[in-house]
Amino acid sequence: MSTHNTGSARTTDTTTTSTAPTNPAASGSAASSPHLRTETFTCVRCGLTVGVLDPSGGRRDHCPSCLHSRHLRDHVTGGPADCGARMTPIAIAVPRGGGWTLVHRCTACATLSTGQVAPDDNQLVLVRLAVRPIAQPPFPLEAFGDL
Amino acid sequence: MPRKRNPRGPRPQRRKPAYRTSTGADGAPHAASGAFRCLGCGLDVPLAAPGTAHRNHCPHCLTSRHVDLRIPGDRRSACKGRMEALSLTARPDGEWLVIHQCRTCGALSANRAAGDDNALALLRMALRPLADPRVPVRAMIDH
Repeated sequence: MSTHNTGSARTTDTTTTSTAPTNPAASGSAASSPHLRTETFTCVRCGLTVGVLDPSGGRRDHCPSCLHSRHLRDHVTGGPADCGARMTPIAIAVPRGGGWTLVHRCTACATLSTGQVAPDDNQLVLVRLAVRPIAQPPFPLEAFGDL
Repeated sequence: MPRKRNPRGPRPQRRKPAYRTSTGADGAPHAASGAFRCLGCGLDVPLAAPGTAHRNHCPHCLTSRHVDLRIPGDRRSACKGRMEALSLTARPDGEWLVIHQCRTCGALSANRAAGDDNALALLRMALRPLADPRVPVRAMIDH
């Protein structure tokens, strides 16, 4: 789980990012491309160099270790965004079909985006995100035991 | 991995205008009467809410409406679709935020939970990731 956390000293190495993470739009044909199989990007938070493809063949849009992402897609127009800032994971959402989806928020412009959870994502961070609201309830939860 | 917190403290929130007092005849929230009707359950919701000056969702079913384009309060979206509560997050100071997703165009927005929001609906939203049968949560926790 914490075996990926080796690159924390390289946080300044963000400008050498060869390919920034993009939205996992095309995942089916992506695994067949030899170019994508060797392509990597560097996490803007922890400096970890990760491959663009996850073990299931989908395209990553966030770091599997710290789950941070980059704001590269404008969600109003659908085109590329000129922000480029770091996006922090803030919540776990459950879509109608089941499974987990990550919700990211941009640290510069507060834009929200969703991304798929990859099979090798850091499970400690995922569970921490999932229990975060319940750990800080704004009202006492004891009353729900009587319902 | 844990890094030092920003010495200048957390970034202050962007200045947002107070709620509008007139929006025209399209029935958008924050109309002149100060109340709006929920798109999900039809409840007439007064604008005044305990704990927040920017109410944008129904306190009963947490449904909202897609009226803002980029900045909260700009009222420039042409979508006007129904936004349903997608998930829940907590700020570092413990405030709960409801994240809405538009059922028409898929846009996302976040809003603070008001003091009179349905606590049962909020708690059900908070427990939904842990109750999902397709994710092995027990295997993640037990080590």
